[in-house]
Amino acid sequence: MIQFKALLLKEYKEAFRDRRALMVAMMMAVMAPVMIFALSKTMIKELVETPPIYVKVTGAEFAPKLIEQFKDENILLFSNIPNDDKKLWDERNVEISIPESFAKDMVAGETIDIILRTDYSDKAMSAPIRRIKNEIRNYAQGIGYKRLLVRGVDIRLLKPVNLIEQDTAIPSSNAVFISMMLGLYLLMAAFMSGLSVAIDSSAGERERNVLEMLLCQPVSTLKIVVAKLSCASTIAIIGVVLTLVLTSFSVGFVDLTKIGATFSLDAFTIAALIILLIPICFFASALQLFVSFQAKSFKEAQSTVSMIIMLPAMIPVALMFIDDKPKWLDWLPVSGQSLLMEDLFKGLPVDWFLVMATSFVTVTITIALVMILSIRLKSEKVVLALS
Amino acid sequence: MIEVNNLHKSFKVGKNTVKALDGLSFQAKDGEITGILGPNGAGKTTCLRTLYGLLTADEGSVKVDGFNALEEPLAVRKQLGIFPDKFGLYERLTAFEQVDYFASIHGMQGKDKNVAIEQIFKDLEMEELMHRKTLGFSQGQRMKVTLAQALVHQPKNFVLDEPTRGLDVMSTRVLRNHLAKFKAKGHCILFSSHVMQEVAALCDRVIIVANGKLAAEGTPQELCDLAGEKLLEDAFVKLIGSDEGVAA
Repeated sequence: MIQFKALLLKEYKEAFRDRRALMVAMMMAVMAPVMIFALSKTMIKELVETPPIYVKVTGAEFAPKLIEQFKDENILLFSNIPNDDKKLWDERNVEISIPESFAKDMVAGETIDIILRTDYSDKAMSAPIRRIKNEIRNYAQGIGYKRLLVRGVDIRLLKPVNLIEQDTAIPSSNAVFISMMLGLYLLMAAFMSGLSVAIDSSAGERERNVLEMLLCQPVSTLKIVVAKLSCASTIAIIGVVLTLVLTSFSVGFVDLTKIGATFSLDAFTIAALIILLIPICFFASALQLFVSFQAKSFKEAQSTVSMIIMLPAMIPVALMFIDDKPKWLDWLPVSGQSLLMEDLFKGLPVDWFLVMATSFVTVTITIALVMILSIRLKSEKVVLALS
Repeated sequence: MIEVNNLHKSFKVGKNTVKALDGLSFQAKDGEITGILGPNGAGKTTCLRTLYGLLTADEGSVKVDGFNALEEPLAVRKQLGIFPDKFGLYERLTAFEQVDYFASIHGMQGKDKNVAIEQIFKDLEMEELMHRKTLGFSQGQRMKVTLAQALVHQPKNFVLDEPTRGLDVMSTRVLRNHLAKFKAKGHCILFSSHVMQEVAALCDRVIIVANGKLAAEGTPQELCDLAGEKLLEDAFVKLIGSDEGVAA
């Protein structure tokens, strides 16, 4: 116990005194909330607000009521544009032509052609075009209904089928995107935060010739590995918790319900996420130690370990493309946690059995990695690689 | 007491096999300073690494105070204070913390540990280094810290691989006096060096290793007589130069 305490204490001292590495590790935690805040903010703005649209209308004087209705929906005439926006909307160049015969054709009951001309391929224009089209359709429909009513026709005749849409996906796709980002970020934080400590305390110590000294001491390699693992995973856990706390703080400034998000980072969700992610922190650090202890140099360790970081980034994305997910994906590390987080963000109740199962599998693999590593450290190959 | 018996060890380098140790045997007795001499690549470091239990011998055995290095490496390491041929420091720790770390690994704790650490810093005349971080230490200062961590738990047996390289004259003298003190107390000291005067002055017995075998063994004077030379350096060159060596 004295030995293990000394090993652990030394690892912590070294890790926490390496300020620069620690700062880099915690960058993840600081970046996540900022990104999520900015992302949600722009998304909500795009989806919920109806920013003014400035349209160059020719023949506006022929259809004053249509123009009035446009105005109610914040679709304004180009002549009213403030100077700041002038250049932008001049470039976007949305044109509507109303024919001179508008009033006459309306009275005669003829179909009137209104022309909407703009660059449809411009992505930024998709929302304004949709709004203009909607408004014109509403206007036309309103007049059509009135015409039938006047003639004593039930307007329900125009709607033989009424489609009722029920969306079973609880959050809207945009909210899913945000929560997926957060999930991905949390997994990345688990893998990234402990990274520098894991490499430094294994490949780094080997390169600084202190590993051989340590291996000559009367201490079991298992204790050495467990001490290093504890330290690296502690930093990883701090990274994850910090990411969560800062994100919950920053998300508090955004009203996600506006875009249909039902999840909120309340105390329960945070606690569940931490329980879910702690085994992943240990798993990630064990994997990193495993690889970097066996690398021949610090540089080799860095490049191999950075491949491991792809794991948390790739697996959740890959999972999105599998429609019929096999059951065992629920159990494996990273994929299991990723799927459970998805449920959590959708506001579904937590399947605690699955949480236990995936945690158990993750911890078992971690223990196996630690055991194999401690045996490997006793092998001559590792010792010979020291010189 | 360190006993090395008929030690064989070969390494495979690609398709070739390199024989590092070829039946090396010797003893380092308690209360004596035993010097181990040999040209580069003679097998000294391989022998010492087998002694620490880092390498497994193909044949033969190493015993430290009766414990077999192959069977009980941890028990063997407990009996040893090691100054290895390659060493580094934890640069984010202070010298005190570094020595404290190794003392704790050897099971020391509480007041005894602190007293022992303070004593070793005093003995090696390096008290001013005690609370400085080891980053930026000179070679000599680094050597001293490594020596302190090897000696702090007052092991029964010392294995020092060229402990005086990079030390200034004063520090070398301090170390010599220190080793002499431990010798008087009955500790076993195995000491490798390339500095012949030092070996001649300090060692009670000298083992000369060449090509993984024992080339000669005896007091410095005996070795000089054996080779018919006045200086140990000349004797050493002569002894390792002969193919058969001088059977001891």
